[in-house]
Amino acid sequence: MKRVVDVSIPLGPVHPCWKEPARVKCETRGEKVLSAEVELGYMKKGIERIMRGRPWQEVMFLAERVCGICSVIHNMVFIEGMEAVSGITVPDRAAYLRVVMNELDRIQSHLLANFSYCYTIEHETLAMYLLNTRERAMDCMERIAGVRVNKAYMIPGGVRFDLRDTDRALLLADLAHLEDSVHRYGRMFDTGPLIATRSKGVGILMQEQARIARAVGPTARASGIAEDVRLTHPTYRKLAFTPIVRTEGDNHARIMLRFDEIFQSLGLIRQCLHDLPAGPIRGGGTCGAGETVSRGEAPRGELSYFIRSDEYGRILDIAIRTPSIPNIDACTHHMLPGVTSLADVTSVFVSADPCIACNER
Amino acid sequence: MAIYQEKDLRELKYHILTSARHDRAVRDLAGMLGMGVQPFRRILIERLDMQYLENLAGRYEQWEARGDREDPLDRALGRELFTSYLPMVEPSGMEQIRAEARASVEAGTPPSEAAARARGRLAEVLRP
Amino acid sequence: MSLLQDAKNWVRSRSIHVAYVDVGSCNGCDIEILACLAPRYDIEQYGIYVHNNPREADILLVVGAMTPPWVERLPALWAKIPAPKAAIAIGNCPVSGCVYNRRETYILGPVAKYIPIAAEVPGCPPRPTEILSAVLAVAPTVFRDYEVNRS
Ligand code: SF4
Repeated sequence: MKRVVDVSIPLGPVHPCWKEPARVKCETRGEKVLSAEVELGYMKKGIERIMRGRPWQEVMFLAERVCGICSVIHNMVFIEGMEAVSGITVPDRAAYLRVVMNELDRIQSHLLANFSYCYTIEHETLAMYLLNTRERAMDCMERIAGVRVNKAYMIPGGVRFDLRDTDRALLLADLAHLEDSVHRYGRMFDTGPLIATRSKGVGILMQEQARIARAVGPTARASGIAEDVRLTHPTYRKLAFTPIVRTEGDNHARIMLRFDEIFQSLGLIRQCLHDLPAGPIRGGGTCGAGETVSRGEAPRGELSYFIRSDEYGRILDIAIRTPSIPNIDACTHHMLPGVTSLADVTSVFVSADPCIACNER
Repeated sequence: MAIYQEKDLRELKYHILTSARHDRAVRDLAGMLGMGVQPFRRILIERLDMQYLENLAGRYEQWEARGDREDPLDRALGRELFTSYLPMVEPSGMEQIRAEARASVEAGTPPSEAAARARGRLAEVLRP
Repeated sequence: MSLLQDAKNWVRSRSIHVAYVDVGSCNGCDIEILACLAPRYDIEQYGIYVHNNPREADILLVVGAMTPPWVERLPALWAKIPAPKAAIAIGNCPVSGCVYNRRETYILGPVAKYIPIAAEVPGCPPRPTEILSAVLAVAPTVFRDYEVNRS
């Protein structure tokens, strides 16, 4: 669709504010953005194609490497899918530990997203505080799983490492520390007058637009859509989980929603640790044939894996839908048009927490 | 300034469309318009940017679930689907096709036939 | 050894500008580089500055497994960096393609085919401290007495 524009301004592929390469072309009149177009392909590795025809043991590691930031949830959704097709049950303790790990991952991912946003609006102090706080969350995960990023913590039938009592005490101490700092920085963000001018009313996503683009996760919840896959997950159901929703739909709402979700995740972890049943962490089982759609709530929103496997546990067909796909779509096609200044383009883009690696797989 | 940025993206776009879920959506849509899959892929590649293509399946499923609920003719034609969910036709062009179909239904053509003809018109508009 | 060269050596040892480029990673290595910025690792105390602008960089950190669009862009980006310069491959991806280097993949690695790589930091992903020490180890070998060694 053609229309009169002043200039078409390309941003990227390498841009100081973005962690990953993507190219956004903004058509502008004056300072106002009329429409935006995305060019991808810089990260397309063809993971789905590599996965086909491989045994689950290999696909498990590939699934984790779809996205290094939210690797735990990719691991979890894929493994739960394999368990569903082959009828493997998980011991209670392992199910709770999975939630602990997943929520820790959510905390670090949200902190990273908020770090990126603060960095983009050039509030470096707050950004560095948040990044340093994130290291605490990374420590917690490292203490449980032994590695920082790609952990392969979950396997069919359970988890690989138990939570020792000493670790549990340290974990609780770290949670208290995290709560303190996030509380402080969240308030700094919420009350900062200059932050508010850069964020409030910028990059608004209306609820209807969010639904058209099928936005998920914090991006959708900040626009008033109360959807969260954790509502249907059996372990989270036991923990009486309810999603947080905001209605403003602007940058500020998205960032504050992430801060609020961090507190919620901290609460969930505490509850898990409190309820943690004793018992084994690994059951047995054999991966077999079947077909399923497995879902989970990644830090960025709903993640779903369509899996079809044969009787030896080889993956015949797989399709991954990551949360970044609809979110970047909603961001570039609904949030960016109407942004009144080019300086806000980067911050709006970053506020949707885009992850190009997931987006392209 | 080097011009190496402006590249032919067709191959990369085609790669996006070959994933399992996208393939299903493309086949459904092509069937709906009575087109071959390959020509329809070409239309998609020419009319939409890469992010729309990545989200093609999502947007299509969302339309299936909640788009064009009121009117069976709109549903058959995919009015919202092709103008707002996957903006490939100008809304005015779509309105025109729709008005023509309406008129022919009122003139006595059975609705299903009118819808089929309107889809044919739509396919023509889409073809470059 | 001239006085000028001494001065250059001294300045260069305290100011290393880093740019990083992601040529198709899973983000794991990316984020570990970002984590280096955190006050806990505090790379600025070693005189390392991350600008992400190739034109003022001394060291290029390459992460990722080399996807097709980068094949001509990466050498172009490399050419923009003023000499003396060095490229460090971070993670298994640029070294070998990591898990992506299988049948049916799109990647065209390794990165060393396209630009000269001075050092490799294996790991999936390497720890921030490892990245940091790699930068610190490479910088003096490349930048020290650069003008003397060149002639
Ligand atoms: S080396 Fe591993 S962590 Fe790093 S980008 Fe590659 S797959 Fe991701």
